[in-house]
Amino acid sequence: MSEHDHKPAPMVDEVSDFEILEMAVRELAIEKGLFSAEDHRIWTEYVHTLGPTPAARLVAKAWLDPEYKKLAVADGVAASKAVGVDWVNSPPTKFGTPSDYCNLRVLEDTPTLKHVVVCTLCSCYPRPILGQSPEWYRTPNYRRRLVRWPRQVLSEFGLQLPPEVQIRVADSNQKTRYIVLPVRPAGTEGWTEDQLTEIVTRDCLIGVAVPKPGVKSNIKLPVHKAVHPVQHGHGH
Amino acid sequence: MAKSDRKELGSENMGQEADVTTIPVLEEIRNHGKVWEELAAQYGVTNPDPPWKITMDATCDILAADSNVVPHAQVVPGSCALPLLERRTEEDDLSTTIYADVPFPERQLLALAHSMIRHGLINEEELARQMEEVGRRLKSV
Repeated sequence: MSEHDHKPAPMVDEVSDFEILEMAVRELAIEKGLFSAEDHRIWTEYVHTLGPTPAARLVAKAWLDPEYKKLAVADGVAASKAVGVDWVNSPPTKFGTPSDYCNLRVLEDTPTLKHVVVCTLCSCYPRPILGQSPEWYRTPNYRRRLVRWPRQVLSEFGLQLPPEVQIRVADSNQKTRYIVLPVRPAGTEGWTEDQLTEIVTRDCLIGVAVPKPGVKSNIKLPVHKAVHPVQHGHGH
Repeated sequence: MAKSDRKELGSENMGQEADVTTIPVLEEIRNHGKVWEELAAQYGVTNPDPPWKITMDATCDILAADSNVVPHAQVVPGSCALPLLERRTEEDDLSTTIYADVPFPERQLLALAHSMIRHGLINEEELARQMEEVGRRLKSV
C-alpha cells in the first residue's frame, strides 16, 4: 500500500502574474543592493513566526492572575516576555529600543470603559505580539471613521455597546503600540488558560469585538472605501 | 493627504502625494493578472492570503529600515530606500485611484512596485525583463 494514499490538501497549481511580480521586485532589489537575500530570508522567517496567540495568552494569563494583570497594565513589554515575546531582541534587525518600537501598552477595559485601537496615520500595529494586521485595519475608511464615530464603527463589527459604556480610541504610532485587555466574559468560570486563550480573538485584542464563550474566529468584514479621498482631512 | 495636514502632524518631510499616472508594465498585470481570491476559489484553497504576501511584507519592512520605528520627522534622509510613511501614503493614494478595483493584497503589491519605480529604485524596463525571467523559471516544469 502506498504511504501517500491520503488525499492531499488542495493547492493552487498555477503561477499568477502577481506571484511573478513579487519575486521580480524582490530580486531586483537584491540585485541593486537595496538589501541582501540573507537579510530578506531572516526577516521573512521572523514574520512567519508572528501571530495573535501570544497576545491572547497574555490576556488569558491576566484574567487568571491579578499580579500578572498589574504587570501587563504597568509594563506591557515586560509582561510580553511571559508569553514568549521579547520586543527588543526578537526582531532579527534588533529594531526594538526602549524608547521606540517596544513601548507596548495594554489597555484594560472595564464594564463601563471599552478601548479600541487604530493607527490614523498609516497602519502601525503590535506585530511582534499580534501578527499581521487585517486588511480593514489598514483602510482609510476604518482609520478615519473610528476616531469620529467609534460607536457606529463598532456596531458595524457587531459590537453594540450600551450608552453608559465610554469608548476610548487609542491611536498607535511609531512610539507606542497597543492591545486591549477585555473584560473576562461570564460563563468562563473555572476555565483553563488554554481555554481562555482560544476565545481571545485578534478582533478582541484590537477592541472591535469582545470575547464570548464559543466564539473563536474573527468577523469577516466587507472592506469599504472611504467616502472622501484620503488626501483630504487626514490630520485628526 | 493635503500637505497642510501633513504639517499639522509635524511631518514636514513626509512624502509628496503619489504620482498616480499609470505605469504600463503594472497596468498589464492589473488588467490580466489573476488575483488570489479568484485562484483560491478555483482551486478550493482556504488560505486567505497568497503565499507571496509574507515575502512582500518583508520587502516593505526591509526597504523601510528604521523608518518603521522612529517618528517620520526623525528619519535621516537616505537612511532607508523607501520610508514607511511615504510608501503607506502613496499606497493609500493609489488604492483610491488607479488600483481602486484591485483587491488586497494585490493592490499593496502593485502600489509597492509603483512607488519603487517612481522613487527611482527600479525602472520599468528592468522590471519587465525580470518578470519575464522569473516567469520563465517558475513555468519551466
